[in-house]
Amino acid sequence: MAVTQKGTPKVKLLLQNVSLQLAPFSLEVSTELQGRITVLFGPSGAGKTSLLDLVAGLRRARSAFIQLDDRVLTDTAQGISVPARSRGIGYVPQDLALFPHLSVRRNLLYGSKAKREGNHALSFERVIDVLEIQPFVRRDVGELSGGERQRVALARALLASPRLLLLDEPLASLDASLKTRIIPYLARIRDEFGIPMIYVTHDRHELLALADEMVVLVNGKVVQAGPVRDVFNRPANLAVAGLLTVETVQPGRIVKVSDELVTVSVAEVLLTSAEQTLPANTLDVYVCIRAEDVILLKGGLSPSSARNRLSATIHSIAHEGTHMRVDLDCGFPLTAILTKQACEELALKPGNPVTALVKAPHIHLIPR
Amino acid sequence: MMDSTEWQLVGFTVWVSILSTLLILPFGLGISWLLARRQWPGKSLVETLISLPLVMPPVATGLILLKLLGRRGPFGGFLHEHFDVDIVFTWRGVLVALCVMSFPLFVLFARVAFEEVNPRLEQIARTLGAGNFRVFCTITLPLAARGIAGGMLLAFARALGEFGATIMVAGNIPGRTSTLSLAIFQSVQLGHDTHAFRLLGVSVALAFAAVWSSEWLLRRKARLK
Repeated sequence: MAVTQKGTPKVKLLLQNVSLQLAPFSLEVSTELQGRITVLFGPSGAGKTSLLDLVAGLRRARSAFIQLDDRVLTDTAQGISVPARSRGIGYVPQDLALFPHLSVRRNLLYGSKAKREGNHALSFERVIDVLEIQPFVRRDVGELSGGERQRVALARALLASPRLLLLDEPLASLDASLKTRIIPYLARIRDEFGIPMIYVTHDRHELLALADEMVVLVNGKVVQAGPVRDVFNRPANLAVAGLLTVETVQPGRIVKVSDELVTVSVAEVLLTSAEQTLPANTLDVYVCIRAEDVILLKGGLSPSSARNRLSATIHSIAHEGTHMRVDLDCGFPLTAILTKQACEELALKPGNPVTALVKAPHIHLIPR
Repeated sequence: MMDSTEWQLVGFTVWVSILSTLLILPFGLGISWLLARRQWPGKSLVETLISLPLVMPPVATGLILLKLLGRRGPFGGFLHEHFDVDIVFTWRGVLVALCVMSFPLFVLFARVAFEEVNPRLEQIARTLGAGNFRVFCTITLPLAARGIAGGMLLAFARALGEFGATIMVAGNIPGRTSTLSLAIFQSVQLGHDTHAFRLLGVSVALAFAAVWSSEWLLRRKARLK
């Protein structure tokens, strides 16, 4: 196991030729996951849960080779399939699957009877301390709130001392404020117990808050995999850009390529991009700009280090979670995300003229 | 008041009904679980065979049993020859008839009870290191307990009231194979109305006790949890 500076062992999960027939399509995956928290990202019905089930040994694949670190878990060619109970893989499913007839305490202790080699068991006290379960450990499962149920399910999986933890949209059923309260617990699991996780979500905030690597799954196929920053800054295609909700995606045409910069025209507006990975002779592209990367200045044009200074008019302003979403017209529609404070300080109103700044590295081009 | 032969009759009926319910319990649980949780070749055939006594006239089922279990039948002949055991027209005949007649009712209920247990709970128990046996005993069985108890009650009630198959296989021999239902029918036939009414009273009391005690057991179980 490779160890990162923070002391969390990295996991290496190898998936080769994983194939499973699902209703509208088939799941076909070959990839290697090795983050501390790898997020499996994709729209609902992309096959994310099925993939977790295969890794956990709860489902049989048409064909698959699955290896966790140096242990082969599934190899259909050799007829190997380690049963779920011996895989040492913890699983928190979307519905949590707390045992309704057992108390919180007996739920927690259910898996602690399992003796796993090579993984020193986590102590009961430490886990319920870190996840702050003590106050309701004597209660019945039916008496817990959503966030409490969530923590109990996490703790139960942890107490079986898994080598790898699979989390299937663990926060999907919680409201936004509860989500922000649970995310730190997940970060604590990562940092204090050093158990690597594969985390299924289609929520961008969870993704950015927790993941270091991500795999984008669409219709059963891996569309892109790699460090979160890379995938976000360079979505492999329009589908991924759409999934990551890159707010601005506009068709454009390359007009000039010089040393390290590309000039592209979008609706007569010239933008400068630092895109490096375009195939030679590409002319038509999609221009992708994330709303977080757009900076607004009050008033007309003023000098700045940003390559792209766009004179714009505010079209509309709307709340988006804790932030404000500002839709602009600068010859083409452009979206910016600002904090509420920034929005108030600038006294932004629809119809106001503003200057939008975007640095060249933040303008990403996808060939079309 | 009830005389000693009537007490014997009630005692025998209750005893043989309880025994038949307990006998079908392990097989019934096994079959219901297999029907609810597994796919296997011949499953629909077994399903049909099990439900057959539920839809066929009990007397017809009784006739089949009589032919199979009689001394000249394939099973009865074998048992008589090798073990000197007779089924037909003995208390064993009553027991077999009750088992066969109440088995499908129990399986019907227990199967639904198993199907209603969320399979995700069983799967997650496995990822927590539990083997099949532990999953069954600690997750599946307790969660299906209500339905299984209901199935047992119905099986017991069916056994108490069984008439057609019993009379075919075991006859109605007073003191040996006569059960409450057979005796009530016979008393009415012979015009012994007071006797019939006393036995009727016992039947009502038994039915009441069975339903009430199962409710009580389930309430207690719910509290203990």
